[in-house]
Amino acid sequence: MAQETRIIENTWDLTAYQWKIESDALDLFVKGLKDKKILGRKCPQCGTVYVPGPTYCRKCFRDIDQVVEVSQEGTLDAFTVNLADVKGTIVEHPYITCTVKLDGTHSFLMGVLEGWTDWRSIKEGMRVKAVWKDVTQGALADLSHFQLTEK
Amino acid sequence: MNERVAVVGYKQTKHTFDSPVARERMIYELVKSLFKDLGITRDDIDTFIFASNDFTDGRTISEVYTVPRIGSFMKDETKVEADGLNAALYAYMRILSGLYETALVIGFSMAGSEFRVPLTQAYTLDPVYERPRGIINFYSTAALQASAYMKKYKFTDEDLARLTVKNLQNANNNPYAARKEPTISVEDVLNSKPLYLPIRQAHVSAYADGACAVILSSKKAAKKFTDTPVWIDGVGHSMDTYYIGDRDLLGMEHLSAAAKKAYKMAGIKNPKKEIDFAELHTNFASEEPVFAEAMGLFKPGSGKDVVKNGDSGIGGALPVNPSGGPLGANPINATGLIRLAEASEQLRKEAGKNQVKGAKTAVVHAQDGPGAQLNTVFVVRR
Repeated sequence: MAQETRIIENTWDLTAYQWKIESDALDLFVKGLKDKKILGRKCPQCGTVYVPGPTYCRKCFRDIDQVVEVSQEGTLDAFTVNLADVKGTIVEHPYITCTVKLDGTHSFLMGVLEGWTDWRSIKEGMRVKAVWKDVTQGALADLSHFQLTEK
Repeated sequence: MNERVAVVGYKQTKHTFDSPVARERMIYELVKSLFKDLGITRDDIDTFIFASNDFTDGRTISEVYTVPRIGSFMKDETKVEADGLNAALYAYMRILSGLYETALVIGFSMAGSEFRVPLTQAYTLDPVYERPRGIINFYSTAALQASAYMKKYKFTDEDLARLTVKNLQNANNNPYAARKEPTISVEDVLNSKPLYLPIRQAHVSAYADGACAVILSSKKAAKKFTDTPVWIDGVGHSMDTYYIGDRDLLGMEHLSAAAKKAYKMAGIKNPKKEIDFAELHTNFASEEPVFAEAMGLFKPGSGKDVVKNGDSGIGGALPVNPSGGPLGANPINATGLIRLAEASEQLRKEAGKNQVKGAKTAVVHAQDGPGAQLNTVFVVRR
């Protein structure tokens, strides 16, 4: 009887590709982070404040160039307790990933939530603030985490 | 149900070999300026259809990052993993269904600067028999076809060089073309770098960065966009087996089938007489006589005479690729859709130096897969 499946080896040259990445939104965002500021862009037509800020509004389909510095405080939108990694392995030190809506913005920032002792006492809508790394270098990781400011 | 569908708007980028902007900005600027030209907003488009390819884009679900860049945020959007003319076929059917009145179709590529075309194409080959041995690719498949045609019909290297020059002269007058070689001679083509004989570098289409957007509409909605709609009166689509070993590369029976279907639908009995010009998706100059003959535009094996008499030139009996075709610009995925835009431009007498006089009916073609495994044919009229 014939085998039903078999393995065939192939190779793949990843240098086949190189991508140009649009830099406008990222450049503005990390430039702000270096100075411990959170920058975004605001659409003059619909008023949407995007963080990070693209150079166009996806709703109004127009260019936007108004840069705004936004609040470093906001509200907790949703959170999850990370008990496993992407391979399914149970992690030794569970941590919380959350989405935060900074005051006055319409985007959600994703980050690690700290300042809690029992995760069961965390509630959506609690107030948080951005916490910076001591030394910032103009990278996404400059924004260390979000800290709960209420119990 | 809608009964008739028209091309009511189109725009292409000026294609380049190294776009100064990323694909997201390229397609956003293109669609924004098309909307501006037509005096419309994204609210005037019912459905959006992308033509992109995960292999040539180098990422899975290749349109995900680009969706909002064509105005389709929170709208009906989908994708065709093939040439843009296939996406236009999809849009055409959506409008015929009556569920949609208007559709925006877009194809784009960064083939000029972001990926190595023959290498990435080779990854799309049959993974059992073709890919692991590495002895066949899209270029060599075209060379096998070219060699078969040339031997059977005594089509010489010089004939092929003349055909190449004809297209490059047309491309030189096309403001969107990436490849500009105004002084190229038959001798230059014959002496260009040999790749897979009889294919030389000069015969290869101009893989480029670029995009093309086309708006289709029902008859009812067309007035809102233009007073000069271009009607899609016939469509045909056909594919051969993926495995090259099971195909007749020269016969192109599947392309003939697609063309016959489109002609029948458009009421065309004698394409040689009734078609005024053709825009064909040729990745290599050598494909032109093979495709044109399979589509019934010229007598089988007449390629040599067609070149000699200049029948496929702009002033000839049946001009083929008056735009210069993909030899001037081949932004993969947009290339077949560009044929539709170029044909529409011709039918609306907007083609400038490349204008075919008195053109009323055109046939448009797109291909995909190695050696044109899959073909789409449109008959368009003004």
